Amino acid sequence: MEILDKLINVALIAATLRTTAPILLVALGGSFTTKAGIFNIGLEGQMLAGAFFAVIGSIWTGSAFAGVACGVAAALAFALAFAVLVVTFRANEVVVGLALNILAGGTTISLMKAIFGTRGSIVGHGIVGLPKVQIPGAQALLGSWAPLISGFTPIVYIAFIAVPLLVLFYKRTQLGLYIRVVGEKPEAAEALGISITRVRYIASLLCGLLAGLAGAHLSLGYITMFTENMSSGRGFMAVAILIFSNGDPLKVLAGCLLFGFADAFSLRLQTFGFPSYLVLTVPYVVALTALFALSYRARPKVIRETLASMQKLLSVDRNSAPVDKNPQ
Amino acid sequence: MSNAPGSPPLLSTAAMAVELTGITKRFGAFIANDGIDLAVRRGEIHAIIGENGAGKTTLMNILFGLLQPDEGSIRLNGEATVVADPAAAIKAGLGMVHQHFKLVPSLSVADNVFLGMEVRRHGLIDHAAQIARTQELSKRFGLHVDATERVGLLSVGIEQRIEILKVLVRGARTIILDEPTAVLTPQESRELFQTLRSFVAEGMTVIFISHHLEEVMEVSDTVTVLRNGRKVATRPTSELNKDELVRMMVGREVSFDRRPRAALHGDIVLDVKDLWARDDRRLPAVRGASFAVRSGEVVGIAGVAGNGQTELAEVLSGLRPASHGAAWLKGQDLTTLSPAAIRQAGLAHVPGDRMVRGVDRNASIAANTLMGRQHRAPWSQNGVLDWKAIAQNAGALIKSFDIRAQGAGDAVKRLSGGNIQKVVLAREFTNGADFLLIDQPTRGVDIGAQEAIHDEIMRQRAAGQAILLISVQLDELAALADRILVMFNGRIMGEVAGDDADEDRIGMMMAGVSQQLEPA
Repeated sequence: MEILDKLINVALIAATLRTTAPILLVALGGSFTTKAGIFNIGLEGQMLAGAFFAVIGSIWTGSAFAGVACGVAAALAFALAFAVLVVTFRANEVVVGLALNILAGGTTISLMKAIFGTRGSIVGHGIVGLPKVQIPGAQALLGSWAPLISGFTPIVYIAFIAVPLLVLFYKRTQLGLYIRVVGEKPEAAEALGISITRVRYIASLLCGLLAGLAGAHLSLGYITMFTENMSSGRGFMAVAILIFSNGDPLKVLAGCLLFGFADAFSLRLQTFGFPSYLVLTVPYVVALTALFALSYRARPKVIRETLASMQKLLSVDRNSAPVDKNPQ
Repeated sequence: MSNAPGSPPLLSTAAMAVELTGITKRFGAFIANDGIDLAVRRGEIHAIIGENGAGKTTLMNILFGLLQPDEGSIRLNGEATVVADPAAAIKAGLGMVHQHFKLVPSLSVADNVFLGMEVRRHGLIDHAAQIARTQELSKRFGLHVDATERVGLLSVGIEQRIEILKVLVRGARTIILDEPTAVLTPQESRELFQTLRSFVAEGMTVIFISHHLEEVMEVSDTVTVLRNGRKVATRPTSELNKDELVRMMVGREVSFDRRPRAALHGDIVLDVKDLWARDDRRLPAVRGASFAVRSGEVVGIAGVAGNGQTELAEVLSGLRPASHGAAWLKGQDLTTLSPAAIRQAGLAHVPGDRMVRGVDRNASIAANTLMGRQHRAPWSQNGVLDWKAIAQNAGALIKSFDIRAQGAGDAVKRLSGGNIQKVVLAREFTNGADFLLIDQPTRGVDIGAQEAIHDEIMRQRAAGQAILLISVQLDELAALADRILVMFNGRIMGEVAGDDADEDRIGMMMAGVSQQLEPA
């Protein structure tokens, strides 16, 4: 019992919220593109660029918020490049996404070498981290539970407030509606004179905005440093969550909380002397298993289409396929 | 539009809601609409009827601004109008319900109806107002639908009501419906007709495209018949009967250029017993067909397109499951076999849509003659294709089937329609099959190639093959078939011997009038 108490407590829940925030933000960003019918595998790169340039901006200006703005601007640049290639030039989404991810990884490493002359990570150099917001009265109100609502960086609050805002956005605003229509039934949008190109550009840029915030949270939030490949697959986890949630904000939140919890829990396990390499796989294994189990039946379009095309490839020789006799 | 700005608007007393004059539309060498005149009176239900490919949809797409005519002019409510795009058409009070619906499944009915013209309050979409307005319209015109329901959960019939509501909300006074009943059950069709009558009762105009005679007779005030891109006639429905309509649709000049033949009938090769099948909408399309085809016999299937012939062919070739009944090919029930197994059992299939199912248009003639037998000698040896043998074989086929091409390496898409069809015949007729299923062999084929294809079919008959020939062209059936079965609404209405094929009797059966056969 004592061990369990040490493992699961208020600090763990607070840590869960902290670790959830970046993946939640990037996944919510991806929700825009998913809803608009773009399979955006470039989240990882946008997030990484956001993290790197947030650090650079913070060093240059000495202000954490200016750093965040720099990070967001960098992510937006990547998102714009993605949109130009995918929407305007109709390049393959996966190829472009992967290329931009690789570009982001390479660019950050080269720039790190060029600017700081180091490899691996940027620490110190006067990086200014984001302040923590202490909610007045939280201590008095909740006592030892106060860390659940107080003491996070602003980006964590933004991430969680964004969830209900996005629900409202898709339900009650024209832009939200059009994003859904463009993704679900582009013919319908076209027939009604809604510009598919414009809507997809807007969705891509909104995605870049949130991915940039997520990146800035990584490098300026709880640790103030940048390391190579610091997004460490969160962008890809977000893509997985998006596929299974179909971009619905509440389902995205649920998926991200699950991942965040597993992440925080695995950190906790490390302090108990489990081998760290094994422990680090825990969040990915847990999240993937759970997501797959939850939504195997309700496979969304992207997966269905992938499976269908794979089946088509595999069943060139369908000589042996039996034809079912359809009962009434 | 000649009136100068400031001059009083023309009084809209025109009796005609729509006047099309001399509309011509070409797609390459193909003339889809050839100088068509059409006048639709205000407040009438005007049916436009014709077979598939007669040019109905093209004409309506021109009226609605989806296509621009090469020649001709449009007057709406008496005013000369250029319908540049659908937005202009909607502004002029036109509305079109297409064959393929464009609804968003995850949105509610009301959201779909108002998509693109949302009612907003304080910048947010006012769902309550949209629902109320949708419900009001649906009540007024008998378009029963729950405005709050998600479209993805609804049936096709209800989806169509939503499309009509969309048109109404945009203020249409003249409503064009393209084959509206093609997706409906009979019950839903009747409800639709009531709705159409309620439109007319409110002074609106309905243009209604169809190839179903009965419903045209039932619901329309005026009928315009199109055939091969031309207008045949416009007549008040009350002056017409179904038989006349069929003749106008399919053309009355049936030539009885009958091929000479010797009686050869041998054993039964194909035996179809009480066969039922559903179409893509899950509605019964083939209803209890029973017939037999003997070796050395050509059995023809006649009927207005869309009466279950396509589905019948698909069931016999294994492309569509049967819902009931059986079809025995030399003792094997086809309805339990895969397409490959059916071919193994002795079927050769000349599909109705040759570009989709007959050939790979990008592949060479040689490759196309290879398909389906690539694992057999002489085309392959030990699992490796022998391209030399394939090319030789294809060269021989090109000669014997008189395919006009540069050589066996020619891509099929470079050939004319008739020569593409000959490639299909060359492959299918040299497979050693005992039963030939031939669907619309001369559709879109020039006269010379038609003759050659008919010659080839007769040669196959003389060689003792059992042949089922499906065609919408009566003269083709009259020339080739030993017996003609007439399909209507999925049923076989009756049988006529090829030797005394009688246009009137076949026409009556094509229109759904059953013929009792006196034993010969």
